[in-house]
Amino acid sequence: MGLFDGINISASGLTAQRLRMDVIANNIANAQSTRSVDNPNEPYRRQRVIFSPVEGSGSFASVLGNKLQSPGLGVAVTAVEKDMETPFKLVYDPSHPDAVKDPNDPGYGYVRMPNVDVTAEMVDMIAASRGYEANVTAVNAAKAMALKALEIGR
Amino acid sequence: MTFFNTKTAQILERSLDASSLRHKVLANNIANVDTPNFKRSDISFDSALQSYLDDDSIPIKGMVTHPRHIPIGVHSFSQIQPEIVAEDSTIYNNNGNNVDIDSEMTQLAQNQIKYNALIQQINGHFAKLRNAIGGR
Repeated sequence: MGLFDGINISASGLTAQRLRMDVIANNIANAQSTRSVDNPNEPYRRQRVIFSPVEGSGSFASVLGNKLQSPGLGVAVTAVEKDMETPFKLVYDPSHPDAVKDPNDPGYGYVRMPNVDVTAEMVDMIAASRGYEANVTAVNAAKAMALKALEIGR
Repeated sequence: MTFFNTKTAQILERSLDASSLRHKVLANNIANVDTPNFKRSDISFDSALQSYLDDDSIPIKGMVTHPRHIPIGVHSFSQIQPEIVAEDSTIYNNNGNNVDIDSEMTQLAQNQIKYNALIQQINGHFAKLRNAIGGR
């Protein structure tokens, strides 16, 4: 375990929260996109990041030792996945080019909008921002402690 | 126990180790504040040191009469090691995560102050030694 492990752990948190922030920004930016890149017939699907803790790996002995003696190695983003569960929102706008044009279709005149809930994204954004700040504080604390350690025996 | 390697120095040194490990554990908790099903960890050190320092608080202490006996209770200083313990019985968030950011941040601040205090103590210790060597 090195002197800078604490900083590295917090740095992984900073990276993860920033990526989360980027994904949220992308969701908000695409809140009105009725066509997506991979499928022009479908609106944009909101994306979300999946976090998981990073643990040291290796032999049984080293894993056991790690459990008792060394902390985890921070957090990592394992995936950015699309939200396939939340349904698309329907907006009645017959003049929209992506509206259902077939008058016999029960959904006539409706446009499928992305399943992005801007309010939820804003709340998530605040959480990401606060998480980022907490990690910055931890980095500063680690930095101050490392500098203080250099004063031993001065 | 030599001139430099005194009990004071040993205790301070070990406490500094524990404190810096604690910082890493707390940083890891903070980094995982939004990770589903993550359980926070902390270290156990203070109580072991305490029970080593005041002998009376040890409830049971096994007598060691042979080098291959397994000691019961804290006997020697080398037995006091900071250990990471996961707190996996509580749930704080609805995603199974039990990191309370406020308590983590306050503990981080406390730990930092404690670390600084220990360094001041160790510096004071060295200053005393220097005084003894200089013979003022």
